[in-house]
Amino acid sequence: MQRAKFDLSLLGWVIVVLAIVLPATLWAAGYFAQPPVRIPSNVVWTPETIAQASNGNPVRGLIIGKRCTRCHGDEGFSDRPLTPNLAGMNVVAIWKQLQDFHSGKRVNSTMQGMVADRTDADIADIAAYFSMQLTTPDPLIKGPYPGARPTDAEIDTASRLVTLGDGTRGLPPCQACHGPAAFVQGAPSLATQNGEYIQLQLAAFSESTRTNDINERMRAIASQMTPAERDAVAKYYGAGFGVLPATTVKTK
Amino acid sequence: MKLEFGLSIFVILLVLLATRFNEFDAPLVKIIRGKNWIDPRRLHVEGEFVESNLGTAQELDGSLVVRMIATQYLFVPRCILVLAGVPVHLRITSADVEHKFSVNGVDHEATPGVVTDSILNLPKPGNYEVPCKEFCGAGHYAMRGEVVAVPRDQFRSLRPEERVTCAAR
Repeated sequence: MQRAKFDLSLLGWVIVVLAIVLPATLWAAGYFAQPPVRIPSNVVWTPETIAQASNGNPVRGLIIGKRCTRCHGDEGFSDRPLTPNLAGMNVVAIWKQLQDFHSGKRVNSTMQGMVADRTDADIADIAAYFSMQLTTPDPLIKGPYPGARPTDAEIDTASRLVTLGDGTRGLPPCQACHGPAAFVQGAPSLATQNGEYIQLQLAAFSESTRTNDINERMRAIASQMTPAERDAVAKYYGAGFGVLPATTVKTK
Repeated sequence: MKLEFGLSIFVILLVLLATRFNEFDAPLVKIIRGKNWIDPRRLHVEGEFVESNLGTAQELDGSLVVRMIATQYLFVPRCILVLAGVPVHLRITSADVEHKFSVNGVDHEATPGVVTDSILNLPKPGNYEVPCKEFCGAGHYAMRGEVVAVPRDQFRSLRPEERVTCAAR
């Protein structure tokens, strides 16, 4: 008798435990249901990372960056249209892209191989070296920059987008982040960038094949632009119109 | 026997409680889970505002919650999808400077470091333009989002891990 009573109460306890654990797991499974976390970039702009990015040694960068200059040019102006010019670019912008190549957040087989064996100090030094170069290209360099002059219609479209953006579509002006009007943290200067490189990156952002922009900013902007507008803006910068703040007045 | 009977009723009640209701009009109580402050510089790396968690989600009680970031000079996601005539939680924060998400005459402040937990109630279906109403920098005047409120027959209930927006991508 005593034995049977004990068994019953054991069953009771099992039911109690199940009654608590089962619904709790069900609830927790729903409560913590989140889509798989996607992180665009591991870079976080704290005072420490900004100090680390901007305190590189350019002289050491000159020595260890010999490999970089074969494609990006001795003066930071590349003679290949799909390779970005790095001369005078913001030091934190170069640093962020190298960090993203290093962590695999930005995918490019060449660049990922180049930075694979670099330390944080190397990356800061290389960024410091390229950011200190002059933004005026040497006339003796026969590079793709400046590119061919875009048509008047393209200049009109591009200067409107660069200066004013398009508020009705939520398109902010390019120069509000990429200069020269203003910069946001980590945004590269586009003033002396190769046009074809800009076009390639805008296309990659719009198709989400490049996803290392923090808070989806460039993906949202590039996918709002039409292919013709992306083309016009890329040619506008590639032809050297981005050096001065843009105006909406049609240039001759 | 009395004990087992009572316990089985208890089990059934708990299982019912744990099941998700698919109604949208669960009473909306303003809930602030945990801390109401957040590091604006780490939004993209951790926490509830990582880019994969943005957009409209459905809670377990069936209510809708919208998570979004305001940043220079975009609302992320750019276009928010909600149900018309139903109060919706709006959880918004800023990644850089002060912004104001102004929809249908009501301002929702997006302050860096703080999660603003407010209620968004759009009585009529339609597209609502959302300008930024706080000067936030050189591109402020072009900073504009959109809220699309759809009637009930065009909105299906969402799985717990599902996030929806009406942005182009």
